[in-house]
Amino acid sequence: MELLNNLYTGFSIALTFNNIIYCLVGVLFGQIVGVLPGIGAPTAIALLLPLTYSVNPTSALIMFAGIYYGVAYGGTLTSVLINVPGESSTVMTCVDGYQMALKGRAGAALSVAAIGSFIAGTFSIILLMAFAPALAKFALRFGPPEYFALTAMAFGLLTVFGGEQPIKTIISTMLGLLIATIGLDVVSGMPRFAFGFPQLFGGIDFIVIICGMFGIAEVFSSIEEPEEGELVKSKLQLRDLFLTWEEWIASRWAIVRGGIIGFIVGIIPAGGITTASFLAYLAEKRASKHPELFGHGAIEGVAAPESANNSASISGFAPLLALGVPGSPTTAVMLAGFMMWGIRPGPMLFKTNPDLVWGLISSMYIGNVLLLLINIFLIPAFVVMLRLPYTIIMGFIIVFASVGAYSVNNNFFDVWLMLGFAVLGYLMRKLQYPIVPLVLGLVLGNLSENSLRQALLISGGTFSIFFTRPISLLFVVVAILAYLSPVIRWALKGLRQTKVDTA
Amino acid sequence: MRIADLIGGVVALILGVAVIYFSSQLEYYSEFGPGPGFLPLWVGIIITACAIYVIINLLIKHRITGEFFKPRTKLGLQILITIIITFLVLPLLGFSIGLALFIGVTMRMMGKHRWVPCGLTAIVTAIGIRLIFISWLTIPLPRGLIGW
Repeated sequence: MELLNNLYTGFSIALTFNNIIYCLVGVLFGQIVGVLPGIGAPTAIALLLPLTYSVNPTSALIMFAGIYYGVAYGGTLTSVLINVPGESSTVMTCVDGYQMALKGRAGAALSVAAIGSFIAGTFSIILLMAFAPALAKFALRFGPPEYFALTAMAFGLLTVFGGEQPIKTIISTMLGLLIATIGLDVVSGMPRFAFGFPQLFGGIDFIVIICGMFGIAEVFSSIEEPEEGELVKSKLQLRDLFLTWEEWIASRWAIVRGGIIGFIVGIIPAGGITTASFLAYLAEKRASKHPELFGHGAIEGVAAPESANNSASISGFAPLLALGVPGSPTTAVMLAGFMMWGIRPGPMLFKTNPDLVWGLISSMYIGNVLLLLINIFLIPAFVVMLRLPYTIIMGFIIVFASVGAYSVNNNFFDVWLMLGFAVLGYLMRKLQYPIVPLVLGLVLGNLSENSLRQALLISGGTFSIFFTRPISLLFVVVAILAYLSPVIRWALKGLRQTKVDTA
Repeated sequence: MRIADLIGGVVALILGVAVIYFSSQLEYYSEFGPGPGFLPLWVGIIITACAIYVIINLLIKHRITGEFFKPRTKLGLQILITIIITFLVLPLLGFSIGLALFIGVTMRMMGKHRWVPCGLTAIVTAIGIRLIFISWLTIPLPRGLIGW
């Protein structure tokens, strides 16, 4: 009953004319960002964030959420038609999607992706509506030790999911934490790492860092290694979009499995939509009766990862809204938005801002319907966009990034700082230091440090407080296992090898 | 790539040591629990330890693939220099004209487009920035000496 009540509250907000327009703009923009190479959801939202300062937070968040799941739809187009993933979350779609396109079934690949995303997305929203308030209620029991252990777990899980070199992931995370400490310390009022720059006393604004590290750094990487592919020559017609009966039979369980995997991975801190699509593809291949067809145009190979990435982009809102702990770079940028508007996400958000929470979640139903329609009827319009020269896209990114950085405090110091972070981000990427851990370290830095200090204050300085409380203990154990995962993996590999040797 | 990676490791090491040094000057523990230097010190220690691991690993590993400099790295550097010049002249020219010029120049430089489309795009950009950011969103962007 409460669920229906929430749904009613949500729709009464999401269905106002204004919010429908914001939702439409968001999903259209997301679709475009997904199609364009070299710009992803976190960058797009970061570039728009400074411009939405005066917009009603609910409307702005509806738009940002639209961008997030819209990107998951849009990236498919380039994966299928030119074998270049528009987004990292659609990398797996290239494998079978492009093969399908070569066989003249591009339309079917695109429509199974759209339908799969729609079904899995809607399923994910329903689960989110039930799960998020429960998670929030659970999190009401969290004290400082739990919050510190939770952030430690999120950082630990990054080493499991991020990059090939876990040690570099740790360095990136620490760098993020370090940047978060710059400025006046909230407890003692002492300036830290400001080196006499008064501009640094308030800390470095998140927008400046994101615009640099995701926006402009991405430009440098794209110039260096342009992603060019050949557009499949076959013409797309509306009737090509219909699935054959066999194709539908083959993909229906893939959509269900992808949706479930996506939902679960999306909730895990540091899981993210890319991991979800990878896991869904691998699971589908394993579950299939004819795994040999994967890689040669199996429709399940498109349906599963596409359903999973959309499902995960929606379930990722659960930890963001209920715990205030984002699990992916995009939700991390949205957390920065919450901070900008002075709203603190977390368990209390469901009580203090029910309109925002339920309006946002309900808008996702509308957004998914809009995206389904867009992806069936407007595909040709987006195909044209694939021909847009990169120099123009690059120009737009630089314009938005510099305006965004300037508008934070209306000074040039931030613009230069942004450029500095752009160079840092570019070099880090080149040397395989992942950026995502830095961003998560940065947004969670204050929560992590403050809860650590409060916890130790409560315990009188002993660390046992993290091990004697059950929830905190659970998080700490997961964190330790996650940090040890490279060692565990290495040991297992050695064990397997000796077995092979003796056999 | 090995040398670039090594330099990266050494920079991380220097950073780690510097963080340890500067945070040791902050209060580690106060009467209100851990002080402002508590977390940074540990962050510094972890960065230092990880950097040492990275460096040792690079020295003993034999096969390292990939090149740091790629054929188009030079072009990226040119764009960086163009951005720096643009940011330097932005206070004089203002955002709309400065960034429009940047777009025109990079289109010519990178995309090898003809002068006419470059010029047209620049004009559209200037008008776009003026209308969207300055007039509509009322962001107080510097308008430069020309005042546009």
